[in-house]
This record gives sequence, structure tokens and C-alpha cells, in this order.
Amino acid sequence: MDASFLDLLMAQQEEVTEAEGGGGIWVVADVVDGAIAPVTLEAIGAARNLASALGAYVYAVLLGDGISDLAATLYQAGADGVRVADHPALASFAVEPYLEVLVNLFQAEGPEVILFGATPQGQELAPRVAQRLGGGLIEHATTMTLDEATRTVQAAVPIYGGQYFEIVACPQARPQVLTVEPGAFPAPFMDPYRKGEPKHIEVTPVEPRVRVLGPAGGFTPPSVPLAQAPVIVAAGRQAGDFGLVERLAVALGGRVAGDRGARDAGWIGPEQIVDVRGVTVAPQVYVAVGIRGDTFHNAAIENSRFILAIHPDPTAPIFRVADLCVEADPKEILPALLHALGA
Amino acid sequence: MRIIVILGRVLDPRGIVVNPRAGRIFVNREEYILQPADRCALEAALRIKEAAGAEVVALPRTFLPDDDILRQALAIGADRAISIADKPTALPDDGLMARVLLAAIERLGGADLILTGATTLDTGQGQLGPRLAEALGWPQIVGAWTAEATDGTVRAVQQNGRGFVWVEAPLPAVVTFVPGALKLRYPDGRRLINIYKGVGEMAAALERWEAKDLVAPEALAPVLERRGQDFPPERERGVRLTGSVEEIARAAADALRTRLPC
Repeated sequence: MDASFLDLLMAQQEEVTEAEGGGGIWVVADVVDGAIAPVTLEAIGAARNLASALGAYVYAVLLGDGISDLAATLYQAGADGVRVADHPALASFAVEPYLEVLVNLFQAEGPEVILFGATPQGQELAPRVAQRLGGGLIEHATTMTLDEATRTVQAAVPIYGGQYFEIVACPQARPQVLTVEPGAFPAPFMDPYRKGEPKHIEVTPVEPRVRVLGPAGGFTPPSVPLAQAPVIVAAGRQAGDFGLVERLAVALGGRVAGDRGARDAGWIGPEQIVDVRGVTVAPQVYVAVGIRGDTFHNAAIENSRFILAIHPDPTAPIFRVADLCVEADPKEILPALLHALGA
Repeated sequence: MRIIVILGRVLDPRGIVVNPRAGRIFVNREEYILQPADRCALEAALRIKEAAGAEVVALPRTFLPDDDILRQALAIGADRAISIADKPTALPDDGLMARVLLAAIERLGGADLILTGATTLDTGQGQLGPRLAEALGWPQIVGAWTAEATDGTVRAVQQNGRGFVWVEAPLPAVVTFVPGALKLRYPDGRRLINIYKGVGEMAAALERWEAKDLVAPEALAPVLERRGQDFPPERERGVRLTGSVEEIARAAADALRTRLPC
């Protein structure tokens, strides 16, 4: 059987169908730079698992201007049906126009579960949808299981940034609305043969009440103490070119720090020394560039959520605490890393 | 103008140690602090009060076993604080509190501006402000860094990608603040002592209301139910990247991208 015949056969078999009579699990898509955000695809993957247990269908809602073509991606990710609200009034995100479309749709369809990405857009819309529909809302879900007896979704939510998790549910409230933490669920298998015909929603333009006046020129946010910085790029004696370390910090939107070696080299001030005798940190991302990692330094970073270490010596103690280890000279790796980050 | 500030308390994370292997949380020092994002909301309310003149009323975001944070708010500069009493829920329940706070706002005679935190330090919940905005039919500005209210509008600085923009909404409105946006001023020590003693000009500023007097008993049913606790798995440390410099850089960049905060 040659590949072209197989393609034809698969294409015929994988035309998806929708259920009649409402219900189902609905995923509200996030569109970033003209593409479906990864968190939306992850949410569809998570929704598919729930749908199998619930015996329900998975639907996706796509809002924006000139975004109809993106429906194909949602079908490939696992949606059984896609609703598209494609209108110039939805070109940029604003609460009222988006909310109007979603609430009208959900009031007509009666969803059982609604998933949003835990993104700025999802965080603004999900509570308002839940409030308007009388639903319960669980934010930042990192796992989802089903209590089959009551058709209730149980979700784990991170406490204190993920030090532990509480498992919660909204057993009485319907619909059950959840925001899904980006990166918490695996990306689904994208089936290129899976396709369907999206349904277009009639959009009645609603004027947003919050107006964007323009850039806040001259506004600088208060500096966060190093101990509370979410992203830190720290240099050590083996960092080589400190200018590259600073560029990496800018590319990651992080703060520059270092160990005592970086202080001795004159690259950082005393208030930037990461060490139990200096500043103890717990960022979401800590990049150690050319830091060998003595006991005092490693103890000061042990609560970091993710540590990337770059050091030429494979026996450097920093590699015992790092999540991801790069045994290489920072002078070689940093330019390539900056290029890969698009900086 | 009346500004309502919704304040919550949180167990200071510096006082707890989580041992995932043992599956236990050890509370070494039980000390509660004002939610960091709510601190910014209170400071913003006081700045607006100073600039435009306003009455600042503090309300709690959960049922509290004590009134410490409300007393602090009064000592810092709030004009009124109302403690709403009922049985504390196992977890902060913004769906339930939205119902109670709506009734409390109605009993107060409404407001022009509601300020609160955009997220809580412990559970990361940010739904209270938008839920109130929806129930009241008001616009919302979520994640503000600073705000000013004049001529029937509220203007705020909001993050937009890597930059910042000014946004404007007509009053009444709800504005929520990001943690660390504004530095809260210190309380007036003499005022704080007088509030605790119940003497002086602030003696009557702290009122106590019962939730059951505000809403029907069925409206006090929790929305969220706590069903257990879980701990993160042991970290897999020391994963080494191999390949050419470009391959290693690509893999490292992909790993960083997925872990960077939004």
C-alpha cells in the first residue's frame, strides 16, 4: 500500500463529528502572534482525557480577527468541534467583547466543563464567565482527574508557587470552570489527518469599557529585591565574557547576580552575591554561568524551581543541584544560546 | 468618592517548611501577613484618597478568625474597616466571598472604586476582583502597577507584554494590583495602639458584621471543596545535555522557554 493511498484512507476516516444537545468540555483558545498558544493545545489534550472518562465531546472556541484558519490546528490537537468568532471587533483582546461572545455561546450550549489557559487573557475572562454562569472556578490547575460518580473534575492547584498542591473540586457549581497552568500538561499528539468543519458564531460588536491610552513612557516598575526575583542569571569565575551574561539576563527578563568569584572579578556589587552569607534566592529559573558551586552558593539556590548550569568542569558541584547541566565553556555556549533564544 | 479595599491575610511562607518526602508541612512560626498584592491595593487607595479625597473602607477577602489585618489597615490610613464573621472555610473561597462581599457593598450603600490584589501569595487565586466586577456590571483593570482616579475615571498602568501601557476605565470600576507594585507605608503606632484599645477617634472605625445577616444561609455554602493534598515528585537533577554546541543551545533554550514565568 503506498503512502498516498494511506493518506487518502486516513483523511476519509478522520472527519470528526459533534454531539447533539450541548454539554461537553469546552476549551477557550489563546492566540499569540497569530498562532494557537501551546497552553491551549495542552488544555485540549487534558480535555480529551477527561472526555474519555466523562463520555463527552471536546469543543474549542476561537476568537479574534482573521483567525479562522487556526481552527485546523484545534481539530488536529483533538477538538471534536470548533466555534469561530472571527470579527474585526475581536482583533485585540478586551474583556467586554470577548465575554459577550463566550457567555452567549455557553448559555446556548450548556457546557459541563470550561477550560481557559492560565494566561493574562484567561485570568481576566474565566472569573467573569464563571460568575455570569453561576459556575465554580479553579485556577492554575496542574492535574485534573474525574470523580465519575458526580461527574466532578478534581484539580491540583499549586500552593506557595508549587511547594505543595491542594486538590480541590467544585462539586455543586456548574459549569466547572478551570484555568490550566501553562506547561503543566503534555502537548497532545497532533494528528494531521484529523479535520472538521468549524461553525462560525455571529458577533455583535460590543464597545470595550477599558481603553488603552498608550505607552506608559517613563514608568519603571519598582525593582524587585534579588531574593524575590523570578528569573536570575548568575555569573561565576568561569563565565568568561560578563557582557554575554548580561545579554542573557535581558533576553530572559531576569536579574544579574553572581557568586563571590564574580564579585572578586568586579562584575557585580556585594548586594548581588548569591550565597547563604549574601542573598538566598528561590526564583522560577536560575541560570548559573561558570559557577563552580560551593556549598554556600548551592545551599542558597536549593529552593529554585529550575536550575540550568553551564560550566566546563564535569566534576563541578553545581551539577549536583542543577536540573539541566551543560558541560561546556560558557564563551562557546552563550552566543549560541542567545541566538536560540532569538536575542 | 468611596473606595473599598479588599484585604486578605496569608501564613508567612518563611515560617513553613514543606517536606515532600514525608508528605508533611511543618509550620515553625505561625505568623500571618497581609497578602502582598492586597498591600499594594491599600497603598493605592490611600494615594487616591490623598490626591482626590475619598473614604477608604477595608473589607476582608476571607472570613477571619481575628481582625489584625483590618486594624493594621485602619492604623495605616483606612477610614473604616468591617470584619465579616462566619466559620472560616478550609481554603480561600472567592466564589463564596464574592456573594458575601456583594451584599456587604450593597449594605454600605455602594462604592465608586474597588481595589484588591490580582493574586494571592498562597493559592494564586485572582478571581475575586473580576467576579465582583461581573456581579456589579463594572469594568475591570487586572494587574495594575499604579492607579489614579479623577473626573469620573480611573487610570492605571498595566503590563502589556514586555512594556507598560496606560489604561482608563469609567468609574465605578474594579482594579486589581500585582504584588510588589507599590510599597505600603508604615502604620501610625499611636493610632494602632488606640485601635487595639478601642479608644480615640478610631474607636468606632472597626465594625463587625455577621455573614448570615448579609446573605441567605444557602449562599454561604462553599463553592470550592478541599479533597486532599499532594506533593511535587522528587526532582530529577543532573540531566546532562549532549550534542553539538547548537544542539545543546537549542535544547537549553527550549527548556528555559517552558519554565519562564508568563
